[in-house]
Order: sequence, then C-alpha cells, then structure tokens
Amino acid sequence: VLFWPEEMGFTIQVLLFASAREAAGNVPSITLDLHDGSDTAVLRRLLSEKYPKLSSMVLDEESLTLALNEEYVPTGEILPLKAGDVVALIPPISGG
Amino acid sequence: MAQSSFFVRVSEDLPSVEDCNDFVADSSCGAITSFVGVTRDTFDGKRVAKLSYEGYVPMAEKELLRLCNDACSKYDVKRIAAVHILGDCPVGKPSVILACSSPHRRDALHCIEFLIDELKARVPIWKREVYEGDEDSVWKENIEWKEGKPRRVMVLEDTSS
Repeated sequence: VLFWPEEMGFTIQVLLFASAREAAGNVPSITLDLHDGSDTAVLRRLLSEKYPKLSSMVLDEESLTLALNEEYVPTGEILPLKAGDVVALIPPISGG
Repeated sequence: MAQSSFFVRVSEDLPSVEDCNDFVADSSCGAITSFVGVTRDTFDGKRVAKLSYEGYVPMAEKELLRLCNDACSKYDVKRIAAVHILGDCPVGKPSVILACSSPHRRDALHCIEFLIDELKARVPIWKREVYEGDEDSVWKENIEWKEGKPRRVMVLEDTSS
C-alpha cells in the first residue's frame, strides 16, 4: 500500500506587466504552486529561478514592486501568501 | 463622496474631452477644469512615432477611484472624470483626460494638477515609446513613481536605508 503524504501547498496567480512580462519571455500570467508558509520573498526567489532573464529585476525591490490582490506591497515589506492570491509584477510605471 | 460622482475608465476606447466635461458638469459648479495629455513628437532629440500603453486594468481603475476620493478630501470638487487610453496612441492624440468641477475655479485648477501628478505616481499603467524609423522602443518610467516611493514604504524602525 502506497502512502502519499497530503500536499502541503497552495496555488497563486502571478500577473506580469511591461518589461517584466518581456523578460519572462512575453508571459503575461503564470499559475504557480507554492509550499505552505511561502511569502512574497519566496515568490521573488522562485521566479528568479524559473525565469533567468527576469532574475535581476525580480530580486531587486527598487526595480520591481509587487501588488498583492490589487494593493501595492510597500518596499521592504514581506507579506505571507495564501491560496487564490493574485500577485502582479509592477515595473516602474509610466501612465499619463 | 458618492462613487457615482466619479467616472474612471482605462480602455482602448478613450472617452472624449466633451464626454468628460459633460460628466463633471453640475449646476452648483461655476468652474470646470480639464487636462488632456497628448503624445508629443519628440523625446531627447528622437522623433516619436507613437506611444503604446499597457495597464493592470482592475487595479488601475481602483487606484483612479482612490485618487478621486483623495482629491475630494483635499479640494472642494463635486465631480471628477479620469480616463486613460490603452494600446497605441499616435502623435497628437490624447492618452489621458482628467476633468473636475467645483463651485469656484481655485479648487478646480489645483485639483487637476493634483490628479495628474498623483496618477503618474500611482496608477499601474506603462507606456512604450516607439521611435520613427527604429525597430527599437523603450519602456518609460515616471520620475513621480520613484518620488512616490516613500508613500509605499513601510515605516521602519531603522531609517538608515
């Protein structure tokens, strides 16, 4: 009898915009599986591993801000993530 | 302030200046002020063919509503329209229109200035500048975004950074 331990993880959606989208190979949206306890810092590291061309941008809080469920994550703050969260990668904006 | 006093939209189909002015018109208001941002033909000596806009639409419209609420808490304005284009915007065409109404002109004028400055600092929209004769294009960055950082920074005990 095989015993499979219960999956300790959850799924989020990542939206990529502008130069971040291009750096990831023109990928506008990713569904990502994360381990329980993952936060926005873990997410940045994971994305830098999966998308090498995005790496320097996503690891640098000055050049890439995150938005969690349509609210900016303040620079320097690390927020926990949960199932169903939507994280957007926000390069410096240029509306107007 | 009632949400119905605000008209915000981020879309390929940009409402007209007339639409915006008509929306903000109110019989209690003696002043209607508007701002129109238009694609300019040069940047840094290079000829611009067009600007191309991309947006995180749900969040951009949410931020525009927040902006309207902030404006109303600072200025005596009654109605606001704040709309922004998506997609291509050739030279001479409008990309952003802001309009507001106030009983008197001073608050209307200041409100418009506040709205465009804050929009550039907060609303998640990006523009690519496409030059004439060039395959190259650049993603622009608003100086206001960097300057607006303190408002997005958590208050830290250690202020050395």
